[in-house]
Amino acid sequence: MITKCIRPSNLEEALEQLNQQGYDGKLIAGGTDLVIEIKHHPYEKSTLIDISRLKELRFIEIGETEICIGAGTRFSDIVNHPEMKGICAGLWEACSSVGSPQIRNAGTIGGNICNGSPAADSVPPLLALDAQVIIKDTTKTRTMPLKDFYIDKGKVAIEANELLYAIKFRKPKKDEYITFEKLGLRKALAIARLSCAVFISLGDGDKIEDIRIATGAMGAYPQREEALEKLLIGEVFDAPLIEMSTQEIFNIAKQRLGSRSSAVFKCEAIQGLFGKALRRAAKEAKSYDFHQFNS
Amino acid sequence: MISISLTVNKQVYQVEVEEDLRLIDFIRDKLMLTGTKEGCGEGECGACTIIMDGKTVNSCLVMAFQAHGSRITTIEGVAKDGALHPIQQAFLDVGAVQCGFCTPGMVLSAKALLDENEVPNRHQIREGISGNLCRCTGYNKIVDAIELASSYIKEGQQDETSSSGRQ
Ligand code: FES
Ligand code: FES
Repeated sequence: MITKCIRPSNLEEALEQLNQQGYDGKLIAGGTDLVIEIKHHPYEKSTLIDISRLKELRFIEIGETEICIGAGTRFSDIVNHPEMKGICAGLWEACSSVGSPQIRNAGTIGGNICNGSPAADSVPPLLALDAQVIIKDTTKTRTMPLKDFYIDKGKVAIEANELLYAIKFRKPKKDEYITFEKLGLRKALAIARLSCAVFISLGDGDKIEDIRIATGAMGAYPQREEALEKLLIGEVFDAPLIEMSTQEIFNIAKQRLGSRSSAVFKCEAIQGLFGKALRRAAKEAKSYDFHQFNS
Repeated sequence: MISISLTVNKQVYQVEVEEDLRLIDFIRDKLMLTGTKEGCGEGECGACTIIMDGKTVNSCLVMAFQAHGSRITTIEGVAKDGALHPIQQAFLDVGAVQCGFCTPGMVLSAKALLDENEVPNRHQIREGISGNLCRCTGYNKIVDAIELASSYIKEGQQDETSSSGRQ
């Protein structure tokens, strides 16, 4: 039950408070997931620390080679940003597909990452961008790969006294592109909110220099599909390769989802989603003769 | 209890609220502004939409204490000097209201949209109200009404320079 509310006025104070409250403290930002939990389930923590208004957490920095986004950045901040769509389309697409305008105005990218929901929309593109999370407590700042941040459903590698400060990733270059696809259902109706992001770097002769694939809701948490990536790196991007890789993602899904009731549906659907994300990424990465693949 | 001060419909409030109170409960039960509706309580239906610091949010997903220092507009705050807001008038003129449960939220989503984009196309209108569900009217009339409201607002601006504006 919530019995105490704290409104720190800056980041330092927030970290202090988080440190003092220990396991009783819970950060609240956009509230779009947490308030439902507080209202509808017995809530085990007693103290809410509101970080929704901390300006220090709300920024988008686009550098020469790197992009850094504050954890308190709203989805609508990303969607309305003049450059984000052009620079990292897949992330932009994911943020604009989140919930509704109201949810995008409140929900933050940091909240999306930390709640550890398997279906968090912004996470697969961030994974495909090989993002790093920057985590702070009162004394130190540490950085770790986002892909190691997820431990289990709803579980992330952050301590009770730590706060997700920002997320950063290398800025995609020419010949590189990132896409995102998800099943276009309203959240309320979606049994399975499957999604997929593909980052591709194409070299001469359509050789795949690098590829990173991430899925959402295909398992307990959003994850990189590294086994599949390994099969594709160094290969020439062509129709048989697309065929092979969609078959492979079917196999991966099948093995991972086992006998879950949604498995049959998801195994089929992920092929379509992944195929679409892959084709689009490759097409955009290079002015490519796309039509031969676009059956 | 925690004390908050905030502005709702241009009126400043300084009040004590329970720690676990949601903003929607504060608005409805403490301020008695019952125009804001609760449909799902989970961010799906948009019946609880309010405008907070210029942006629409679902008031069922905000804690009351988080609203400290904010400026809020609810449906009760959109009419001016006893005259309906052009959006409200347009909803009536088109017949975009049946049971009316979704209407406050629809009107506020429309207002936030028109505040940013005076002449949205139908696609943009649909996108603007995509977080609001209506179970009875159907969306075409609502989109029609928002289109009409956009023209009312433009006319009104022209009228203001000549006469006293729409009745
Ligand atoms: S009551 Fe808030 S979105 Fe439905
Ligand atoms: S008029 Fe009844 S829900 Fe929209």
